[in-house]
Amino acid sequence: MSAKDTRKLIVLAAIWAVLILAPYWMVPLGGYTALATRVLVLGLAAMSVNFLLGFTGVLSFGHAAWFGLGAYGAGLALKFLAPSTPLALVLGMLLGGLCGAVLGALLVRRRGVYFAMVTIAFGQVFYYIAFQWSSLTGGDDGLRGFERQPIDLGLLKLDILSNANTFYFFVLFCFALAVGAMGFILRSPFGRTMIAIRENERRARFLGIPIERHIWIAFTLSCFFMGFAGALYALVNNFADPRGLHYSQSGDFVMMAVMGGMRNFWGPLLGAAVFVVVQDYLSSVTVNWMSFLGLLFVLVVLFFPRGLLGFLQRGKA
Amino acid sequence: MGTARRSWPVDRRTILRTGAALAAMQVSSPFIIKARGETLVRIGMVDPLTGVYAAIAQGEVVGAKFATEEINKKGGIMGRQVELLVEDSANDVGTGVQKTRKLIERDQVSFIIGDVNSGIAIAMAQVTSEKKILHIVSGGHTDPITGTSCTWNVFRVCNSTAMDANAIASTLMEKFGKRWYFLTPDYAYGHSVQAGFEKLLKAAGGTSSGALVPIGTADYSAYLIQAKAFAPQVLINVMGGGDQVSSLKQFVQFGLDKQMAVGGTLFELESIRAVPDSARIGWWTMEWWWDQPGVPHVAEFNTSMKKITGASATARNWFGYASVQTLAAIANQEKTLDSVKLSRALAGFKLPPEIALQPGAPAFREGDHELMSTVFVGEVHPPKGDPDNMFTVRNPVPGEKAAGPAEATGCKIHWPA
Repeated sequence: MSAKDTRKLIVLAAIWAVLILAPYWMVPLGGYTALATRVLVLGLAAMSVNFLLGFTGVLSFGHAAWFGLGAYGAGLALKFLAPSTPLALVLGMLLGGLCGAVLGALLVRRRGVYFAMVTIAFGQVFYYIAFQWSSLTGGDDGLRGFERQPIDLGLLKLDILSNANTFYFFVLFCFALAVGAMGFILRSPFGRTMIAIRENERRARFLGIPIERHIWIAFTLSCFFMGFAGALYALVNNFADPRGLHYSQSGDFVMMAVMGGMRNFWGPLLGAAVFVVVQDYLSSVTVNWMSFLGLLFVLVVLFFPRGLLGFLQRGKA
Repeated sequence: MGTARRSWPVDRRTILRTGAALAAMQVSSPFIIKARGETLVRIGMVDPLTGVYAAIAQGEVVGAKFATEEINKKGGIMGRQVELLVEDSANDVGTGVQKTRKLIERDQVSFIIGDVNSGIAIAMAQVTSEKKILHIVSGGHTDPITGTSCTWNVFRVCNSTAMDANAIASTLMEKFGKRWYFLTPDYAYGHSVQAGFEKLLKAAGGTSSGALVPIGTADYSAYLIQAKAFAPQVLINVMGGGDQVSSLKQFVQFGLDKQMAVGGTLFELESIRAVPDSARIGWWTMEWWWDQPGVPHVAEFNTSMKKITGASATARNWFGYASVQTLAAIANQEKTLDSVKLSRALAGFKLPPEIALQPGAPAFREGDHELMSTVFVGEVHPPKGDPDNMFTVRNPVPGEKAAGPAEATGCKIHWPA
């Protein structure tokens, strides 16, 4: 094993140690477990955006739609189908992913700003459906009247409803599954092809790679991850609301990804952590918290174009 | 040139790094200072300090802060000083829920107050009842809060929409007629106000039509044209906050004020201040009014608010004030901070005159935990004398009369074992 591999393993172990121990070090530092849970969920969402943005080179500005659909899918499943948390997660992921797959097929021929515009448009379609269909979605008031359910593992029952730490570890487990799958895909030949498309689309086309199909698959996978994150978000809040589908939410996700470092696998998680913690902290101090968050983003883009993690890594090298 | 620059030992990157480190310290140091006095009683307040309801939410915070000072001067809650922690819900449900959890889990508050946005208030109530924390909804008006979604730990200071609608509907029908058009914000609050009005109107044999308007709409021309085509006798304006201001301004710009009357439930003093004189029209309800000659303590409260805000006290000031004062009063009476015991005591609790600041002694009704507060029905007009004298009370309706029977709200309270 080379020194580089060893270092990679150490970094990976450190990341997971920090995540696994979060409920224990966050509380003494003045945080709270629910905040860590939110970081994980929004971090997964930002990583899903980055799956497309950072590794395929396609900027989607409507990804909140799949996030919100995942949330509504999970909420509706818990409310109307069956009180089962795993079922809610699966159905949420399917709703977000399948809608993404269908619309993705219409999107893949667009590039650059046109792609971003069309994704905003499709995203807003779902926002207005959720907003107006009051009888099903609760309209602007949001979907309520469901709760995440304890998980029965036969021998042991996980009380994820009232025990914040148990719920954090449950979310971390789901996060690990999704991130593992994401990492596996990126290491596969398919993942390498995605990066080749990002680096030089024309060359990849000349090599005989079906670009559109690859982008469509990448988009669809990203939507499935996004739907999964959205379903988790519904469980976090016991609530789903149309704001989760709005394009401003998509903007937040892109902001997290860019702030953390979009060429980096873990960058968006760091971006989400900074975004959520700064928002949570500053908004208790001043009503002008949005200005500070915006300023931070501008500074990162101006001075660390590779994001916070990219900056840290370059400093090390 | 390059070598000359190199000789300077501090490069750009070092400056950036130092800057970032300093900035991080600014953020992190208050995090670590956790040594707060353990004897404090903490009250958490979640309100949309940013967004369309910012002005009225700030009004509630001012009232709540003033109440906290007053309580602390008089010895606090059971001899312990009170600390009010205010959090911004940013008019977003996810953020509101998150902040409620933060206040309960991290800051260990004993009570929760909020939110102006009814949707957030209901979502917060889910958290507070799960965590068994006494929760006062200071300014969210939808009926389900003390109706179908009521819980044992949630009490409400402001009126329900049904109370406001009942109080004003008969006045409008008598004065102007029974053909109405609704301008309704498209969320639970708006829907429940319109439903309440339509029920009363139908019972009296009237007809109506209306438009559902998304929150934050800037241009009302399309809706006002529809209203004009329907030719109603009354335009019921249910819009809230900044939306109400822009819709009323445009109503007058379109000249519709000469063709139909305008009225509705709430036209809060904050909103009246923000519109030009020509839009200060119509029949409305106030949930509290600063000018109540002969009612004890009202003038003193108004003077104190004037010292802080520079203007007369608003209903929102009173909501925040009454919420905090109620919590202190009940905790001092029962000598406990236990939410279940306090909630049981608060059901049926009559507000003393220095908190009620209105005629009579309104109580939190046992059946639905709604405060039976007086509804002030009256007319809005340009200022007369005092710059805040822009509303004349014509018909104060007692809370019990406006609310109807508690059973009709659909509230069934399940107490924890």
